[in-house]
Amino acid sequence: MKLILVIIAVIFLVIIGKVFYIQVIEYDKLNKSASNLWSRNLPIKADRGIIYDRNGVVLADNVTTTSLVLIPNQIEDKEDTAKKLAEILGVTTEEMLEHANKKTSIERVHPEGRRLSYEVADKIKDLDLPGVYLVKESQRYYPFDTYMSHTLGFVGIDNQGLSGLELMYDDYLTGEDGAIKYYSDAKGNKLELSEVYEQPQSGMNITLTINHEIQESVERELDNAVTKFNPDQALAIVMDPNSGEILAMSSRPNYSPSNYTKYTTEKINRNLPIWATYEPGSTFKIITLAASLEEGTVDLAKDNYYDSGSIKVENATIHCWKHGGHGEETFMQVVENSCNPGFVVLGQRLGKNKLFSYINKFGFGTKTGIDLNGESTGIIFPLDKVGPVELATTAFGQGVSVTPIQQVTTVSAAVNGGILYKPYIVKSINEPETNTVIKETKKTVVRKVISEKTSEKVRDALEHVVAYGSGRTSYIEGYRVGGKTGTAQKVENGRYLDNNYILSFIGVMPANDPEVVVYVAIDNPKGVVQYGGVTVGPIAKNILTDCISALGIEKQEGGLVKKASYTDAKTAKVTDVTGMTVSEAKKALSKFNVDVEGSGDKVTYQSPEAGTTLEEGETIRIFTS
Amino acid sequence: MRKTNLSLIIAVITISLFGLLMIYSASYVWAEYKFDDPFKYVKNQGMFLIIGIILMLLVSKIPFEKYYKYSSKIFAVCFILLILVLFFGTERNGSKSWFGIGSFGIQPSEFMKLAMIIFTSKYLYNNRKDLGNIKKGVLPILGVTLIIFALIMLQPDFGTGVILVMGVIGLLFIGGVDIKFFLKIGLLGIIGIVLLILAAPYRLKRILSFLNPWEDPLGSGFQIIQSLYAIGPGGLFGFGLGESRQKHFYLPEPQTDFIFSIISEEFGFLGVIIVSLLFITIIYLGIKIALKSNNLFGKYLAFGIVFSLGFQALLNLMVVVGLIPVTGVTLPFLSYGGSSLLITLVSIGIVLNVNRRE
Repeated sequence: MKLILVIIAVIFLVIIGKVFYIQVIEYDKLNKSASNLWSRNLPIKADRGIIYDRNGVVLADNVTTTSLVLIPNQIEDKEDTAKKLAEILGVTTEEMLEHANKKTSIERVHPEGRRLSYEVADKIKDLDLPGVYLVKESQRYYPFDTYMSHTLGFVGIDNQGLSGLELMYDDYLTGEDGAIKYYSDAKGNKLELSEVYEQPQSGMNITLTINHEIQESVERELDNAVTKFNPDQALAIVMDPNSGEILAMSSRPNYSPSNYTKYTTEKINRNLPIWATYEPGSTFKIITLAASLEEGTVDLAKDNYYDSGSIKVENATIHCWKHGGHGEETFMQVVENSCNPGFVVLGQRLGKNKLFSYINKFGFGTKTGIDLNGESTGIIFPLDKVGPVELATTAFGQGVSVTPIQQVTTVSAAVNGGILYKPYIVKSINEPETNTVIKETKKTVVRKVISEKTSEKVRDALEHVVAYGSGRTSYIEGYRVGGKTGTAQKVENGRYLDNNYILSFIGVMPANDPEVVVYVAIDNPKGVVQYGGVTVGPIAKNILTDCISALGIEKQEGGLVKKASYTDAKTAKVTDVTGMTVSEAKKALSKFNVDVEGSGDKVTYQSPEAGTTLEEGETIRIFTS
Repeated sequence: MRKTNLSLIIAVITISLFGLLMIYSASYVWAEYKFDDPFKYVKNQGMFLIIGIILMLLVSKIPFEKYYKYSSKIFAVCFILLILVLFFGTERNGSKSWFGIGSFGIQPSEFMKLAMIIFTSKYLYNNRKDLGNIKKGVLPILGVTLIIFALIMLQPDFGTGVILVMGVIGLLFIGGVDIKFFLKIGLLGIIGIVLLILAAPYRLKRILSFLNPWEDPLGSGFQIIQSLYAIGPGGLFGFGLGESRQKHFYLPEPQTDFIFSIISEEFGFLGVIIVSLLFITIIYLGIKIALKSNNLFGKYLAFGIVFSLGFQALLNLMVVVGLIPVTGVTLPFLSYGGSSLLITLVSIGIVLNVNRRE
């Protein structure tokens, strides 16, 4: 009997031991699964991380919306509830009844019950029905709508990143949803136990290298270009040449990220500044120029060339864009005039090995590695396929295929002292509460391509182009703009298209110490001279002008003075007309259009003031008393 | 002697009152849902408890020798009831174990458990000289036991059957039957199980399934998982009286077989220790009474009752904590059930008398 007592006692100990095991050792595991079993969550959507420009302007924000959530087990009168809700939401009662009868712990009414307006939400709140809840949801909001749409991207209905930066940095931008947890019995009824509020965690904030002021300028100019020229496509990139930071980028056609479903995938997915590949045309001559200067195969000021209008290479004849040629010219003038035969000679002097090694070193034929999805590689002739004709055409930008971002990155390297940087757009990623930096992009040197001295010569040549040559439409007095135009015939199925060009301009400012590189390209503008300088130059000039105030670039003396040409409008100095009578003033300003304000006879004030140089025919306002 | 009896009475009343409290806490959710009366179960049980305590005190005055005299008659009455219940019993949860009288039920197998102990005690006492001879001394009583077991299995009620058989085996062991005999029976059992498993290997999986209830969380593993979800989160001190979550329809009928889970959930490890100590005290006192008894019949009677009670408690607890597969056994004093509580208290009354007669 004692033995049996001992056995019973031992078994009791085993049982107690097992209980101890369950309650202490397995406590966490069981408690967690049991909590999941007991608790029901009313989810609270977390805010997505905010995307800022470099100066803290919000480019992608969140707004709070209200959504309807049903807990079917708590609904007492399903028919009545469904009927009332259906009325408010404008759906059929049957449909609502289906939601109310779902065998699930929490039912969302999708999509009618999501992102409710205030009136609808208030009406539902006033019903005060059991099992009917309103929860706060965070929704993405793009304050500038179509602005930079390809680069920013967009999110889906559940706030998940679907394209652009929203997709690429989705893991960072996505927050952790919170919840109101309450306890429920196995039949789904709410228990009278305390509710737990789990605060949602906002996603990480992203600061871009974008400068909102410049970006706005780019957007405006592209919109204007679309209105004026109705091009197939248009794009622009603005870069800080001393770091590779993207200051602005955009393209047309664009889309509204909050209505992304209304656009074709091509329109949405093609971020042209990094996706498009095409023949660059004359802007590519900067590379040939830089290579020649670095190798010392030309002295721009002293070496001369006679352009007869064409040059024979093997069996092919390559024509200059100017019929009849430019005649006798220095190589500086070859650059200013964008003379094709002159560049053929530069290419021949370098030889194919040298020219192509510079093309590679400048990064053509490889992705720049910018931190965006969807970048293209471009195509460069493989070296063993390069004969004299390919060498000749490559020298002036034909027969190669490059992306806009490659051109901007390369030209930045050519003018910044010779350093090729990896372009980037994300400046930093910050934790939202403490603003701790999680990730920060620093400028990355890819390689040194040319020397500082060569770079200086390139800058000088580009300033000449804008002051004296094909880039004159981009000249801004006192800010030393350098640049190069480009006109590339489009290729389709291996053949050049007639009268279908991509016109481009790449500008550098100030040419002596570049702070910004601007690239603008317009694909197939209608009803204009198919020449980069005429169509794109003024657009680039407007963007450059906005960069002056956005970046605080200072006016300086000593730049090259623009040379007038027959394409330029004549300019004249405004004379001082204050104190004159209206008719005297009109006579003095006969070259301008005079706008008289007020009904007096004496001029008291004029705008612009005396001494300003204006194009003839521009308006001057005079105020009288 | 009196001191032992007083301790036993206090321990029994304490555990029964605690049981009543826990039955209320565990059952009010279901009671309200099923009968619109949260006090439904606790009222029934309370009535049985009062009657049971009175009966216990009355029975403690009845000389236990009377059971020796009426042993066969008691046994016969219970036997007939056991047969009748198969025909006229009401079916609950798939087994015909009850005679329904109004909302109450009488469970003949519960009475048979006590009758069998009385009957076996008398048998052992009468045949004490023949117990060395297996054929003549042991097989007859084993035969009777197996018939009763078979009747109970027809209901079917495996748990009660096992407890009844174990009560007899415990008594045979105490009665001095050669230990080798039990080893042989055990060996036979093991060989039988091995053969069954070899014949159909899936049985092993089924037998072992209780070790990992998560394999079939909605089927065979359901009850044990729900039980673990009650015990585990209880932690050291529990959620407090009335604060169980699992009783809110997660654990089916929490006032019966799985009341220990709710105790663990509401009072934690501390509650488990206290309940275990109360059981050990009762068993210890009971065995102490059996040991001290000079009357062999009384000794057998007291031991049989206490052993049977202890075995049932262990069986229930092992199921609840997941040590053995679910068998459907209630926890004495604590689980809801009128017949069971009544018989348990009457049995304690008999044990008290065994002690008082010394």
